[in-house]
Amino acid sequence: MQLLDIRNLTIELDTPQGKVKALDRVSLTIQDGEIHGLVGESGSGRSLLARAILGIPGSNWTIKADRMMLNGRNLLEMNSQERRSIMGSEMAMIFQDPSSSLDPVISVGSQLIEAMPASTGFWWSRGKKRKRAAEKWLHKVGIKDHKKIMASFPWELSEGECQKVMIAMAVANSPKLLIADEPTASMETSTQAQIFRLLSQLNQLHGVSILLISHELETVSQWCERLTVLYAGQVMEAGPTQQLIAKPFHPYTKALLGHIPDYTETTQQKSILPTLPGSAPALQHLPIGCRLGPRCPEAKKTCVKQPILCRKKGRHFACHFPYTNETCHDSTIA
Amino acid sequence: MGKYLLRRLNLFVATSLVLAGVLFYTTGLFPVDRITALSGIVSPSPAQVEQVTELYALNKNTPLQFSAFLQQRLSGDLGISITSQQSVSQELMARLPATLELANVAALLALVFGVPIGILASLTQHRLTQHAIMAMTLTGYSIPVFWLGLTLSLWFGVHLGWLPISGQINLLYEIEPVTGFILFDTWVSDSEYRMAAFLDALQHMILPSITLAVLPFTVVVRITRSAMLNIMNQTFIRAAEARGLSTAKIVLRHALPNALIPVLKHLGIMLGPFASYSIIVEVIFSWPGVGSWLVSGIYQRDYTVIQGGILVVALLIMLSSILIEIVHTATNPISRKELYASN
Repeated sequence: MQLLDIRNLTIELDTPQGKVKALDRVSLTIQDGEIHGLVGESGSGRSLLARAILGIPGSNWTIKADRMMLNGRNLLEMNSQERRSIMGSEMAMIFQDPSSSLDPVISVGSQLIEAMPASTGFWWSRGKKRKRAAEKWLHKVGIKDHKKIMASFPWELSEGECQKVMIAMAVANSPKLLIADEPTASMETSTQAQIFRLLSQLNQLHGVSILLISHELETVSQWCERLTVLYAGQVMEAGPTQQLIAKPFHPYTKALLGHIPDYTETTQQKSILPTLPGSAPALQHLPIGCRLGPRCPEAKKTCVKQPILCRKKGRHFACHFPYTNETCHDSTIA
Repeated sequence: MGKYLLRRLNLFVATSLVLAGVLFYTTGLFPVDRITALSGIVSPSPAQVEQVTELYALNKNTPLQFSAFLQQRLSGDLGISITSQQSVSQELMARLPATLELANVAALLALVFGVPIGILASLTQHRLTQHAIMAMTLTGYSIPVFWLGLTLSLWFGVHLGWLPISGQINLLYEIEPVTGFILFDTWVSDSEYRMAAFLDALQHMILPSITLAVLPFTVVVRITRSAMLNIMNQTFIRAAEARGLSTAKIVLRHALPNALIPVLKHLGIMLGPFASYSIIVEVIFSWPGVGSWLVSGIYQRDYTVIQGGILVVALLIMLSSILIEIVHTATNPISRKELYASN
């Protein structure tokens, strides 16, 4: 069953230089109970997509979409109050800088208790119940010394501890969807592994679907069942991780996979690592058509028209010249 | 924290010593006999001359004179007033509560109205409201306080006749001073016109306290607004939204405590100007406080009153700015982060 279904989401930013399409007709589907990876360079609009899904847009955004469904409910038809009531309970988000995602002047414990679901029972026992729930969740996310953590302020804790607290706050209301926006940025490798393991545990034990946003294709491919590759606000390719890695259809995915440094062979000193020529375009100077166009090794004249997202056997790709013989006839205006 | 408090206390003592030094030096510059400048006795008898010389060690060297001066002032002996021949410290104690009362009411007004309006200015999307609030604060900020006081008393006191424009309370009411705080005294007094006296004192309070509150009010509005604008863009506010908290809860529980920190800090900086404005306001509204007493002392060349007034006003400013800093540190965990990093 589809938990999240987004069709042709476009986000326009109002900048001094005029309107800029930061996300251009992005489609994304997340199945119930899967970990879905969203891969892209920084500036490719991953965080914008996450915020648009959750419903905390910036003040200068214009969001348009053909369809935005969460669990059978239409997100586009809801007013801001209904959206707010869904946040936290149906979907939750963890951010990339956990220590600044916590209020610096209030102790971690009271913030955690605030995020616990309203408990039932007599009013005099509610506070205690919520406190106990907070402790329980801290244990679940792998923090043993709950007393010390709850008494400290966010800036006294490490990034990893803060992220665990954030995860505890996010999942305490048992949301269906957890959006993890670069949850392990600026953490050391062992903590990163802990956080990813924790997320996959939550996914298996509590059935939380996770949208994992990252720029590290290697790590994401380890944990995710399906991937979506984003470039400059356009979906390049999407599909099951295994197939995508084994046989990428899109030149961009192929280039990304080719750029993962190979540590098994001895690379020559000072040899140039393979990259696509050029750099990611700035938002004010986006190329028309396929935005990969100027950097794409396969680009031809047709690429100035935006390719439609083509669907073949559970895989999606948007390219005029994919690495596959299966041509795309059905144009499900995607 | 103990170490920190000790350091603040140390700062207070050191600044007070400098203040005492300046006072001691300027006392010598007064165009009057040194004995009169120190004690306030205008034409002392030989016995009094001998006594004062003994007390202030006037026949010894300067350091010893300073220490004797310090000893006298610390024991609470500020001499007697040259004009009224009353003890300066007693006059001071009678006038200090009125000043404190006026300043506290004005500060309370500034905070009670300033903080909510500052929040409103930062949160509203309505352009007109934003501009109206900013224009209002800019006007309030640039109005000279003496002009404002005179205009208010002219309009509301003289032309409209709504409010009394001088003094603390109508002379009809005889209220036993218990604490010197007139609002409190009238409230607790047991006379049959208690309520009427209280209302009358309240009416007398309105014009001076509004005049004095305008400047801190505008500063509070502007600082609250800029702090709130800054804080509402922080990640933790977005994270709180993502958790589904209501806007009211986010503002009151997460944004406001963060925004009040710079407000508190600026209040500490504002204390000096605030004190000088309060002196002007007291003179305009004939408020029987330390400020008007000090000014009349200056007019009458009452050297002991000038010394006493300056000493008390300066000590009050120093004490309250240090207190504000301590409160700032105690209520603000982030500033403890710096302590925690440095130690």
